[in-house]
Amino acid sequence: MALELNRVRCGVSLLTVCIFVGAVQGQPLQEKIDSAIASKVPNYSTRASADSTDLEFLRRVTLDLHGTIPTAQEAREFQADKSPNKRAAQVDKLLADVWHPAYYAGVLDLTWMERRPTKHVTNDEWKQFLLQSMLENKPYDQLVREILTADGNDPKTRAASRFYLDRDAEPHLLTRDISRLFLGSNWQCAQCHDHPRVEDYKQDLYYGLFAFFNRTSVFTDAKTKKAVLAEKADGEASFQSVFDPKKTTKTSLPKMGARKELGEPKLEKGKEYDVAPAKEVRGVPKYSRRAKLAGELANGDFTPFPRNAANRLFNHMMGRGIVHPLDLDHSDNPPSHPELLDLLTKELVKMKFNQKEILGTLAKSKTYSRSSQAPKGSGEFKAEEFLVAAVRPMSAEQFAYALMQATGLTDAEKQAQGNKGESRALRSSLRAKIAPMAQPAMQAFASQPGEAATYDSRVEQALFLANNGYLQGLLSPQPGSLTFRLAALAPEQVADELYLSVLTRFPTEEEKKEVSQFLKARISDRAGAVRDLVWAMVTSVEFRFIS
Amino acid sequence: MRCQYACGTNEHGVSRRAFLGGAAGAGLAALTSPLAAKELSSKQKRVLVVWLSGGVSQLETWDPKPGTVTGGPFRAIPTSVPGIYISELLPKTAKWMHKLALVRGINTKEDDHGKGAYIMHTGRRQEPANSFPHLGSVCSKLLTTDANPLPGYLNIVPGGGGQSAADAAYLGPRFGSVGIGEGKAPANLDRPGSINNDLDQQRHMLRQAANERFLARRRSAMTEAYTQTYDQARLLMEKKSLFNIDSEAVPVGDRYGRHDFGRHCLLARRLLEGGATFVKVTHTNYDTHHENFDFHIEQLSEFDKPFSNLLEELDDRGMLESTLIMVKSEFGRTPNINRNYGRDHWSRAWSVALGGCGLKPGAVVGKTNATGTAVVDREVDGGHLFHTYLRALGFDSKRNFYVDQRPMPMADPKGAAIEEILA
Repeated sequence: MALELNRVRCGVSLLTVCIFVGAVQGQPLQEKIDSAIASKVPNYSTRASADSTDLEFLRRVTLDLHGTIPTAQEAREFQADKSPNKRAAQVDKLLADVWHPAYYAGVLDLTWMERRPTKHVTNDEWKQFLLQSMLENKPYDQLVREILTADGNDPKTRAASRFYLDRDAEPHLLTRDISRLFLGSNWQCAQCHDHPRVEDYKQDLYYGLFAFFNRTSVFTDAKTKKAVLAEKADGEASFQSVFDPKKTTKTSLPKMGARKELGEPKLEKGKEYDVAPAKEVRGVPKYSRRAKLAGELANGDFTPFPRNAANRLFNHMMGRGIVHPLDLDHSDNPPSHPELLDLLTKELVKMKFNQKEILGTLAKSKTYSRSSQAPKGSGEFKAEEFLVAAVRPMSAEQFAYALMQATGLTDAEKQAQGNKGESRALRSSLRAKIAPMAQPAMQAFASQPGEAATYDSRVEQALFLANNGYLQGLLSPQPGSLTFRLAALAPEQVADELYLSVLTRFPTEEEKKEVSQFLKARISDRAGAVRDLVWAMVTSVEFRFIS
Repeated sequence: MRCQYACGTNEHGVSRRAFLGGAAGAGLAALTSPLAAKELSSKQKRVLVVWLSGGVSQLETWDPKPGTVTGGPFRAIPTSVPGIYISELLPKTAKWMHKLALVRGINTKEDDHGKGAYIMHTGRRQEPANSFPHLGSVCSKLLTTDANPLPGYLNIVPGGGGQSAADAAYLGPRFGSVGIGEGKAPANLDRPGSINNDLDQQRHMLRQAANERFLARRRSAMTEAYTQTYDQARLLMEKKSLFNIDSEAVPVGDRYGRHDFGRHCLLARRLLEGGATFVKVTHTNYDTHHENFDFHIEQLSEFDKPFSNLLEELDDRGMLESTLIMVKSEFGRTPNINRNYGRDHWSRAWSVALGGCGLKPGAVVGKTNATGTAVVDREVDGGHLFHTYLRALGFDSKRNFYVDQRPMPMADPKGAAIEEILA
């Protein structure tokens, strides 16, 4: 069923009857997902791509849940594992490892802060807050409520206030970002006028949300220089339509989507404040409009909230949202699988916003584990049919970590730790150790601050990989590094180790031949030949994209 | 994010492949030969921005008011266009007036450096929850072909820096400015010492072979764009010599002056000639709150010779008709002369000089009153100018970019082009 927001916007109910072809009561959720995907396409089973190989699956799921690629050793072990449930077991193992929360905290940071530079709250504090939240597997709704409640004043919750403070609490910016990041639809489109076909509606949608913040501003303490949020007890969210020739001014009280405006307490004149604002005094009103936001927005009752969360989790694993683009959830851009989105939305609420559980369920679906290679002669297929696994670019973070893993830097650091096993503490400290080393490659591929991360290919990236000392350093032979390992191998063993380490698969006969010929031609310069082989693999499309 | 703009510059695939195929067949020399350059240059449109940082005085340049209370000490001199007078501080530029066009009625209503610059770069006022691309990024997007190895928006700045992916806003960092700090070539153009040309070719062949195998059934616009960056990188490395102004036959100082701005103008000419789309050169600093007149004598004498020389060399090469020229600042300076003989920030009535591609040579539009304190005819703002640039380059400025299906007007919908100066 459609969400209340959509219903109001287009003036009709979009209630749809959920019919899952082949869906059975009591089916596990991942099977329901597969049924819903299959039901949309005639002859799905003949047109969909085959199941991925074990190693394709391992690479993909490691990138999606840990943000890096598996080691050659992990690939060999997974390949050799004969148990029928090894894929599901691998998903559970990845989710239980500390690298999952570490990676997913980064995903949330990128989604919510979009690489904005530190302004009032340090990036480190904020990231630590997200990491801690993910380590506890904090329910998503609770996490968002914490973010939308923090005002920066209480040291215990200060980190969470970065979302507001590092946007300078600018009310238009907050209205835009809260609607698109937490509600999946960019209400900014209604800032200046109503939707042409939905008279008198959309603009007050925008200003209903805006009214939660337009009394809020950043207050900087004169002594400590600490910035926190302050709020006034007056100031209305007034607006005119640019299309209205009469320029009628309207106002909106705080309200969430299609709901009614919130009632406000009547306060006696002169008694509106706990602390009245003055020069160098932070105002604290008796009734805070902003404080009402978290409760109104971030819970399962306000459907756009869980719906956006479900859609983004689906996108994270499948490379495409059911509503796509992710912040364009409105009636002119219907979801590809409305009933599936409704199902995931409900399940997410039922699971108490357990993101890990949904990620795991998606990873265990057949849809997730399809091959990215279209069946021969399959003709045209649409991305939103999910017939074939999406070939999608790695994020800057994934690329940087995968590069460190492929070239052996991660292994070298592990060796430096003494290879003392895989305890949570050791895994955590390894991740912390290599994080700064990921920076150069991450910067080269990063999206720009304040803009949604989208794929962008630039000549500077190729120049960086071709000529910069960073990659040259990763390719230099030192204990643990891939070039070091390859140099010690017999020529006929090089191809296997190279392909497993960089591309998580065994080479074909043709590829083996290519490697051995390359080595033979450069027999007097084995080290250089090995270095260039690894370079060619990490600069290949296959390495750069998740497939 | 892919823009579905159908202006003919986004002919992915075929045209690029044909181009690269041809280039490979004929060797790179074919691209850099004078004949090929001429043929390319006659078709390609480009932009040169001379940014007079700090805010040049309109009264000491394009809109002199000699003999009035606000006019200051300088005379107005006749130019190569009968009836148009500019300040005597620009004698050489005056001889090129028949190739330029003046906009004298600008009112941008913004006296802050940063905000004023934003208006002049993007054609919009700053908004809290919106960011708009710079003209350089827009031109990079619209005019730079995939075959062009030079980054679309080159920003030559004295000192370091000049690099800003943020300039591209929603168009994506690929279209952001690439800094040519102190006139130095972009980073990472030199191969590592351990890899000679032959070895480089070999490793690229391995990379390409791997790609062919993988892409046989997985090719997409994104994978194409990625592989293309490596071709671009190699072509750009070949072009490194463009950044070496010491290789010029006639020593630079003799023609352009022995200072940064002179060197940077020469570099701009070399880059434009070498196929660059958009080059911005900055001359600093015109923020003359004190001693406005002395400063303008000094600054403009440093500007006049290299700028007019640059016009001449572009004209000699047949490139002026296809190169949009603009000389601008974040704002002008107050008609009122303050007690320090300075002029302050002033956005209510000022001027810019344009020229070249798509503009009416020798045209003047807009008028200020006798003392230059207000616009009295044909007032325009940054939005009008932005529309005008796009139209001069042959684009319909009322069109949209599309970002994730959302229309983003290329220029401020409230504005329109200044038709009077469009050719």
